[in-house]
Amino acid sequence: MDRRPVHPMAWIVWATSAGFVAFVTTDPVYLLLLWAVSWFVYAGHRVDAEHARSFRLFLTGAMVAVALRTALVFFGTVSAANTTFSFLEGLRLGTILVIFGTFNAVTDPFGLVRMAPRHFHEPALAAALALSIAPRTVAGVGRVRDAQRMRGIRIHGARALPALAVPVLERGMEEAHTLAESMDARGHGAGRRSRYRPQPWTGAAILIAVPAIAAAATFLAASVGGWAVLHPQTSPIVWPEADPLLLAGIGLLAVPGVVGRPER
Amino acid sequence: MSDVLRFDAVTYVYPEGARPAIEDVDLAIAEGSFALAVGPTGSGKSTLLRASNGLVPQFTGGTFTGRVSVDGRDTLAHAPRRLADVVAFVPQDPGASFVLDRVEDELAYGMENLGVDPVHMRRRVEETLDLLDLPGLRDRSVRTLSGGERQRVAIAAALAAGPRILVLDEPTSQLDPQGAEDVMAALQRLVHDHGMTVLLAEHRLERVAGWVDVAIGFDHGRVRSGTPADVIGHLGSGPPVTRLGQMLGWDPLPLTVRAARAAAAGGPRPALPPRDPARNGHRHGVVAEVRGLRASYAETTVLRGLDLDVHEGEVLAVMGRNGAGKSTLLRVLAGIHEPSAGQVQILGAKPRPGVDVGLCPQEADELLFSDSVEHEVRATLVARGEAGGAGPWLAALGIAGLAARHPRDLSAGQRLLVATAAVAATDAPLLALDEPTRGLDPASKERLIGFVRAHALGGRAAVVATHDVELAAAVATRVVILAGGEVIADGDPGAVLGDSRVFAPQMTRVFGPGWLTPDQVVEALT
Repeated sequence: MDRRPVHPMAWIVWATSAGFVAFVTTDPVYLLLLWAVSWFVYAGHRVDAEHARSFRLFLTGAMVAVALRTALVFFGTVSAANTTFSFLEGLRLGTILVIFGTFNAVTDPFGLVRMAPRHFHEPALAAALALSIAPRTVAGVGRVRDAQRMRGIRIHGARALPALAVPVLERGMEEAHTLAESMDARGHGAGRRSRYRPQPWTGAAILIAVPAIAAAATFLAASVGGWAVLHPQTSPIVWPEADPLLLAGIGLLAVPGVVGRPER
Repeated sequence: MSDVLRFDAVTYVYPEGARPAIEDVDLAIAEGSFALAVGPTGSGKSTLLRASNGLVPQFTGGTFTGRVSVDGRDTLAHAPRRLADVVAFVPQDPGASFVLDRVEDELAYGMENLGVDPVHMRRRVEETLDLLDLPGLRDRSVRTLSGGERQRVAIAAALAAGPRILVLDEPTSQLDPQGAEDVMAALQRLVHDHGMTVLLAEHRLERVAGWVDVAIGFDHGRVRSGTPADVIGHLGSGPPVTRLGQMLGWDPLPLTVRAARAAAAGGPRPALPPRDPARNGHRHGVVAEVRGLRASYAETTVLRGLDLDVHEGEVLAVMGRNGAGKSTLLRVLAGIHEPSAGQVQILGAKPRPGVDVGLCPQEADELLFSDSVEHEVRATLVARGEAGGAGPWLAALGIAGLAARHPRDLSAGQRLLVATAAVAATDAPLLALDEPTRGLDPASKERLIGFVRAHALGGRAAVVATHDVELAAAVATRVVILAGGEVIADGDPGAVLGDSRVFAPQMTRVFGPGWLTPDQVVEALT
């Protein structure tokens, strides 16, 4: 049995489709379902504690985004309609963040680099380095906080910030530098690239990508055809609708939660 | 044989360096050599290693004069990536060098860059997995590997690309004794059977001195190469058998246990294994008490039902293979990691990190944040409301001379000493050190041993988790060995280490159980 992870392209398709769905609607029913679906997919695929921490970071970020976007309303006329509108906009932004968090937690950014066509290698590499920063930093914060506690320095308040930030950033810089050195020393960018065991499109990969495309297509059709309400009215506020076909579409995005799961 | 690596009049100064890191180095390494770089911490070994594929100066900047040529190619004219087919480099911190996530892909990465054809690549990955005994790790994520596994995967990844020269910076520093021997044996096989050239830097000379055929001695940036006996004999800080030979005036100086046995066979034998009063003293009060301890990370149980007492005046060495749970035990003792079952008490109460226990982690860099060595230690003192200066702590560890330096500008070994001083400044009753001799030269190690012993006197105790058997032999008053999350041996170092094939120090191997350090033997003989 092939125990290698799912083809990264399947995840790109899934995340793009889910992100598209979140992008075209402000209906809280669909958006909250997308949060649940993202969590379900992440829970089925996470491999280690570092990923878990990184996903939690995105989850927190998403909640902050919702709160901040809602709070923006206080800079203008405050009304129930305005607040609801802002909240739904924030919820949409948060949903996209949560989907991205799942994508970040279940894929190996450098695995994506290897797949990039030769001409896109350098930008893909820069993107991979950027993607790997969040989990690295999160892991670093935990380790440094522990290390300082072990000598009696507790990290709280602004005064203690250097004790946390300096080692995290310095180690992060150093790691990035070592990585860059190591890649160069191992011939990265010397030309003549070949590919080791190209990753096959397994059944699991197809089961992740195809339903995701179907889900995105359903929402696209609703958005273009206008046969379902994607943006519930906020003035006056009405109870959001939940079209059964669109609910089924979101259900399709949950398929990865049960296929291609890594062995524990 | 031709010289595959040449240094001609090389002098190099780091961008903000005051003195040259290496100065006027002339060096020729013949193809098929097994070469060892030795010298005090901060003497330029890592710099020379990194200059051998052009990382110095191409990645570091600074002022470089002279010429380094690798298989005839000038390292200034060729970027490191253009030398990747000839020379492979394994850095000190192998974890930071991994590019891909899966072990198998990581092994193939270098070959992909060199355009090796897929069929050939597949076969070489398999061979390399076998060579370093890694097939079981093939599908693992590199981030989930233990320190020793990471080291072996990094070496395998470098090897798989098929270089003619392999350069390794302290390749055994994270390995348990058996793992270190396996790696050295694998390297020797490459040198002997495949004509590969290996250049490595290492402080734990007892692990490497017997394997190599050329040694390069470093002294403040200047180098001298010769036979291992010649170079290591002049260092004044060789492996225990060499130090013994120096003290007893043996000629030739032994570098291996086998040679020392031969030399000792002719002379008088020490009478009875010594009794060290500090090691066999009466057991006083209990500092740390562990009962039925279970601990786990995510879904892996690391410690299963562990009982242990640490007494006043004790220096307890915790040993065991990579991944045996040594670091976890220390973290639980320090109150940082919550046990899943069982009890841990320091002086009768739940441990308070930084107060009852000061723990220096394996990645000591994680606690350095100040702009000078002195301020780093002061930060700990300030945190516990202590007004005193950092001076005594620095002096005790022999780094008073570095007080004004920025920790970032120091060598890995020096930074470790700074972190140790910063943790020791908690003045906690239990001092815990996780692998405290990584990157330490023998002279610094001696001072660390004196410091830990002094700490344990006066109603306190120390716990040292280590792979370094010679450290355990010299510092411990008691040794426990962990395996499978349980204590499998516990007792006097002479008995526990003497009874082990894997953890026996060199003196035990030469003179039998009970003998731990060269000083003991010399004392018994004179």
